Amino acid sequence: MFGFRIGKNVVPWLLFGVLLLLPAAHPGNNLMRLLFGTALWITCSVAWNLLGGFAGQVSFGFAVFYGLGAYTSALLINAGISPYLAFPVAALVAVLASFLVGLPTFRLRGPYFVIATIGVGEATRVIMNNLPITGGASGLRVIEPGPFRQLDHYYTAIIVMALAVALSAWIANSKFGLALRAIKQDQDAAADVGVNPYTSKLWVHAIAAALTAIAGGAYARYHAFIYPGDVFAFQTSITILLMPVIGGIGTVWGPVLGGVIFGIVEEELVVNFPNIHLLLYGSLLILIILFEPGGLLGLLRRLSRLVRSKPRREDPGSPDAEQVLWGSGGAQGH
Amino acid sequence: MNDKFFRISICLILLALLGAVPLLAQDTINIGVVMPMTGREAKPGLYQKEGIELAIKQINGAGGITIKGKKLQLKEIFYDDGSDSAKSAALTERAMSSDNVVAVIGGYSTALGEAESVMPDRYQTPWITAGAAATSIFSKGYKYTFGTLSPVVLLGSTTAEFLGSLVDQGKLKKGLKIALVVENTDHGVDYVNGINEWIGKHPGYFTVVLTEKFDLGGTDFSALLQKVKTARADIFLSDAHLQDYITMQRQYLQAGLHHQMISYGARGPESDARKALGAGTDYILAALWWSDRLPYPQVQKFVNDYKAMYNRPPDSWYAATAYDSMRILAQAIQAAGTLDKTKVRDQLAKAQLKGSLLPGMVLSYGPNGQAGYSFLVTQNKPGDKVDIVYPKDAATGPAVAPMP
Amino acid sequence: MTAVDYLSLVISALLLAGIYAAMAVGMTVIYGVMKIVNLAHAGFLMLGAYFAYEMYERFHIDPILGAVIALPAFFLFGMAVYWVLVRWLPKSDTPTLASLLLMFGFWQVLQNVAYLVWGNTAYSIFTPRSLASVHIGEISISKDKLIVFTAAVISLVLLQFIFNRSWFGRSMRSLIQNPYAAKIVGVDDQRTSMLSFGLGTAFAGFAGALLAMLYPFTPDFGPPFLLRSFVIIVLGGLESISGVALGALILALLETFSINIPLPWYWHGWNFSYLPASYQPAVSFVLLVVVLLVLPKGFAGLFEKKWRVA
Repeated sequence: MFGFRIGKNVVPWLLFGVLLLLPAAHPGNNLMRLLFGTALWITCSVAWNLLGGFAGQVSFGFAVFYGLGAYTSALLINAGISPYLAFPVAALVAVLASFLVGLPTFRLRGPYFVIATIGVGEATRVIMNNLPITGGASGLRVIEPGPFRQLDHYYTAIIVMALAVALSAWIANSKFGLALRAIKQDQDAAADVGVNPYTSKLWVHAIAAALTAIAGGAYARYHAFIYPGDVFAFQTSITILLMPVIGGIGTVWGPVLGGVIFGIVEEELVVNFPNIHLLLYGSLLILIILFEPGGLLGLLRRLSRLVRSKPRREDPGSPDAEQVLWGSGGAQGH
Repeated sequence: MNDKFFRISICLILLALLGAVPLLAQDTINIGVVMPMTGREAKPGLYQKEGIELAIKQINGAGGITIKGKKLQLKEIFYDDGSDSAKSAALTERAMSSDNVVAVIGGYSTALGEAESVMPDRYQTPWITAGAAATSIFSKGYKYTFGTLSPVVLLGSTTAEFLGSLVDQGKLKKGLKIALVVENTDHGVDYVNGINEWIGKHPGYFTVVLTEKFDLGGTDFSALLQKVKTARADIFLSDAHLQDYITMQRQYLQAGLHHQMISYGARGPESDARKALGAGTDYILAALWWSDRLPYPQVQKFVNDYKAMYNRPPDSWYAATAYDSMRILAQAIQAAGTLDKTKVRDQLAKAQLKGSLLPGMVLSYGPNGQAGYSFLVTQNKPGDKVDIVYPKDAATGPAVAPMP
Repeated sequence: MTAVDYLSLVISALLLAGIYAAMAVGMTVIYGVMKIVNLAHAGFLMLGAYFAYEMYERFHIDPILGAVIALPAFFLFGMAVYWVLVRWLPKSDTPTLASLLLMFGFWQVLQNVAYLVWGNTAYSIFTPRSLASVHIGEISISKDKLIVFTAAVISLVLLQFIFNRSWFGRSMRSLIQNPYAAKIVGVDDQRTSMLSFGLGTAFAGFAGALLAMLYPFTPDFGPPFLLRSFVIIVLGGLESISGVALGALILALLETFSINIPLPWYWHGWNFSYLPASYQPAVSFVLLVVVLLVLPKGFAGLFEKKWRVA
């Protein structure tokens, strides 16, 4: 899981380079739009994974940060502030919100934490639906002076995504990441060996919230119209958490894969099979949970091992996925 | 790194598939249609799609549109946005940027319409909505957005005007109290503004004693209806989507509420409501953009054509506005004589669709892109009947007021 | 507000509490025994509603009867779902993300199947009784709501009985208290889990059929009820039936009264104003979060020993 050190790994850099240079090949607005959307989803996916995959705290309420990022950026851009200043401010707002949410809720264990995050998410949505400053349920338009330059949006998204992935990889290999992993396995034992679970969780929550908020802000700027039923929706929280689970929870690249699926495959699904795409998702999710907790990344790993016909050895990725999904084996309780 | 290799190759394959340039069909005129087929707004979305397809079928059957001497057929490129505004905007953008469409018809319901309305000016492609009427869409100075629905503010003020006319006729007393319970959307807000606007201009007729908003898709309105009861109003005006209309009216009746007049904004005669509530929908008023009871010959022809194609009559106004949107678009394309989107847009801006199904028999767009024809007020009558009760010259039956 | 208005509100809240309790109890059973937060509960509610609809439309069976028929039908269905999907989840004494997501995926599948079969029209069941009310003085009570309330109370009492008196109930209780110890004393974990899942699903279907009498439904009928069920069982403590009743009552009272009585707030002196109705959904969620923080195990946590499997 923590295997992919950036320095040794030339492929991600190559991919990043391709993405940076792609516009020169004039691939068309549609592809750029898809890549833009995918990059934002990847950012959210990687961000959620920091808290949910690395630290094992499953939040069903990330739409709060996405929405806060979207609205903060929208309001600031409408006030004439440059988006590139608005996004960091939005991130800051989300960080504050993450403390507000995390301080009380991280004391909860098990399903209570999950349910609390759902409650916070929905309460936020309803409140935002009613506040005059956000335009209420009618939503808010983002009016940015000047013509629409898709490249600006594209590069913003790509860079934010790269930042998120780099951060994720760095955390994965750092002492902090080790601490998070310890918390995930057994919070009390981690505390016994000197990790402060409470503050660690708060910090990773803050980082995840900041990244998600920037993604939300970029979304708001591109789509130029947001309303609470869209950015604060429960469905959005679900999407944000489904991506890393389907892609491969607990790994660095699993969430990226999940983001790609949601950004690109999802639209093709919706366009071609509008009647059954829920069925496909649901079935995919069930299959992953039952057979391959490492998500699609885990599946790919297995396939590649088959192809290389190496003897089956314990996959470093899976235990983490299983850890998050299945809990600490049931032998110890919380 | 074999697993990474797999992942990357899959990504690249996907990218390659997408980068593939869509085949440019030179012998059809592509019209993008983005409507909800699934999700909350699915039913009206379906009806609007049907209206558009009926128009396309008729236009193609008559030979299509002649551009530079060549007869071209209309081709619909359809996307289901699942009643999700982000998807709606994304699909509209996709249609405009990579499907080579001349225009997009879309945006059933305000939220979807608002989201989509960002795209037309960005991609300089005309966009017509037959299902979103919020004024805010058309007050941003956009050039490429057009709305076939008259503004909801007018809906509100027409309702109030009609009620005022009942007072003038002596059917209702002066000074009655109104309870306003609207959905928490642009639509609801505009409705309230329309009512208040009329009341402000005609003092002494009515007073509003309660204004409340409710979240879309609510299930239990008993607490809210209790508040309405406490307000002791004479007239109950609401603005809601179909599902909420049914839910609320049922609970209204179960709670034993009674008012002199009831309206649910632009909802009233829908067949789903009749099925779900039976006689509970009798005498409910609605201010609609169209009714199949309009005494125009083209309306009758439309109803017959629709029945022939879909084996059922058109439900409420949804299909009609979409039908005329397609027709006026076709007319504009024909007038422009080219598929150049800006020229088509210019033609749309000054187009006049004569023989329109809509009240007034002429459809044209105002300077901000929104149409402005007057509303009809209908009243449900017992036995599944519907009568147009306002304006007088289109009326098919008398208004019953107060409700029995 | 007059006294009659207040009474009306109280009655309204009570009836609502009955509806909420019926809807939440299925989830409680499954959670208590198997520690699975059953997100597919929303899907079962939805299917229960469609079941009642079909019974009514095709066989002209009154929805109440339809709801009763739903009990065994969904019991079997629940057991089947357990057998095919759920039994693969390893036993844990805390809920796992896997169980959560598995049920969520299943819910999505159920939703889509419902779309394919019934489309996305909002169906409702319209019986001659639908608009009828019982009139007590100035107060009108919907007949259907009364029936649902009665059915809910009966189902709660029935469940309580099963829990306390039957062999099956004892097995369930022992699994709730300590799954490992239960296995040691010979409780068949697999069988009891399967039966419990069936029971939970049965009551979900039952509740769905009852709900169908009151509200129109589409395939995505579930989420508001699901989220309210969460609130209720957290309030009630996730593991007890009377806790569910208590939680439902608290939620219903709060929702009903919060927009109807002026609430005090302080800004340059005390003011009173009405909460706008559009904030009503937020009430339940704020309540949820507050309770979780103040009473991490819900109200039942206060009465741990007494209420645990009451």
